[in-house]
Amino acid sequence: MTQDEHCPEIMVVDDDPDALSILVRYIKREGFAAVEACSGAQCLLLAGQHPPDVILLDLMMPEMDGFAVCRALKADSATAEIPVIMLTARDDVEARAEGMELGVSDFITKPIVRRELAERINAQLDMLAASRANFATLDQLNRSKLSGSKKL
Amino acid sequence: METEGNMAVASQLSTADAAWRSAPEHTLIGSHPTIAKLRVLMERVAPTDTTVLLTGESGSGKEIVAREIHALSRRSMRNFVPVNCAAIPNELMESEMFGHQRGAFTGAALPRHGLFSLADRGTIFLDEISEMPLQLQAKLLRVLEDGLVRAVGSDRAIRVDVRIIAATNADLVTAVKKGRFREDLFYRLQVVPVVVPPLRERRSDIPMLVDFFLERNRDRFDGQWSITREAMVHLWSYDWPGNVRELENLIERLIILSDGPMIDVSLLPENLRKGHCGLAEAQMTAEIGEGGVDLNALVRELEGRMINEALKLAAGNKQAAARLLGLKRTTFSAKLRRCGVIASDTSD
Repeated sequence: MTQDEHCPEIMVVDDDPDALSILVRYIKREGFAAVEACSGAQCLLLAGQHPPDVILLDLMMPEMDGFAVCRALKADSATAEIPVIMLTARDDVEARAEGMELGVSDFITKPIVRRELAERINAQLDMLAASRANFATLDQLNRSKLSGSKKL
Repeated sequence: METEGNMAVASQLSTADAAWRSAPEHTLIGSHPTIAKLRVLMERVAPTDTTVLLTGESGSGKEIVAREIHALSRRSMRNFVPVNCAAIPNELMESEMFGHQRGAFTGAALPRHGLFSLADRGTIFLDEISEMPLQLQAKLLRVLEDGLVRAVGSDRAIRVDVRIIAATNADLVTAVKKGRFREDLFYRLQVVPVVVPPLRERRSDIPMLVDFFLERNRDRFDGQWSITREAMVHLWSYDWPGNVRELENLIERLIILSDGPMIDVSLLPENLRKGHCGLAEAQMTAEIGEGGVDLNALVRELEGRMINEALKLAAGNKQAAARLLGLKRTTFSAKLRRCGVIASDTSD
């Protein structure tokens, strides 16, 4: 069985300390646990050690930008399924197209509106909850050894 | 025995079902991890014959899931009978479901088979089960418990072998608490609960679905269509409150509207083109629609956009950005914090 009552962990990745602290405050106010990463490299390291439920990833970062981080996350089976929400000040079609093609789960354009941020995160958490519920059903079926035309 | 009504439905059903079977494209489309897991569950549950309760938003594909479970089961060569409980008037529902005897009520000139008889040895799909009237819920519970159905006006129950897949887009737990849905039936139905996620939670499947619907319409409209990358981005960014069904309908409309083989942004409905541009462009006019406006939200949105724009123009320099907006640096910083604007990154 999965833990139903676990507090969702949201990793926030941003090189700008001000932006990072605002985002973390938002996340905590929504009742989530926040994990901070100030670079793409740190995000990959932390996510590899302990995968969060959702990653909020800033696009424009020095050295390794959001796309590169996302590519690396998707390439590693341990982190490939973590939903990534990309944050960007650029709302150009090209950036969205690249995110779409990389398998980003959602996209938020700055300025960040708290309500929108919460909605987008919650959508991914709902998806994870649905997956967990379906997995629990599957697990229950497997335990019950139900097969053929036997009825529960 | 001469019967009325449902036999016509039966012949339609078998034709429709034959067409369905020969159209393998009617499957759950997507490669999102949540869909991959759902598929494993469907394959596991299909051969068991148990009752399944599907929960998911309208248009998310519950009927497709039900059809696939049926197709993967040993009942696949028999009827799959879809029933929308919300579409049948309450007073007719019992006779529709269980059939009636001649003269059972005014207008019942001939006996009639019910949908449960049509689904014998097959699967009945009870969509929008939460809309079923309480009195009929009691009868459904009896079918589930002993497999017997009794036609209206008949004193003889007949045995049917029907697999029940029920679906709801409403919260059945709440309906139970409010007394609108029988608790015992709820537990009996949700032996195997299956959740079908809405499209916006698996956005990465949108391009695959778009290509699939474009391809499927090739033969139907005798032509071949593709979509520009920019238009695809707009489809991907939209939240799809009507889920896969809304996307499917839109693609069909775009094909009909398009002049050539390429579907571009100009063909997209306005709400979709503006979907990810925030409220501002759509609502910065002084119009107040039927639903009213949230002035505070609009003002905040405009403020946020202005601050962001100023920061962009000032290359991230807060002092300069404040000047551009005629604000003091401290006021600007306070607004920055309050609006949740995070300075556009200037680091690279």
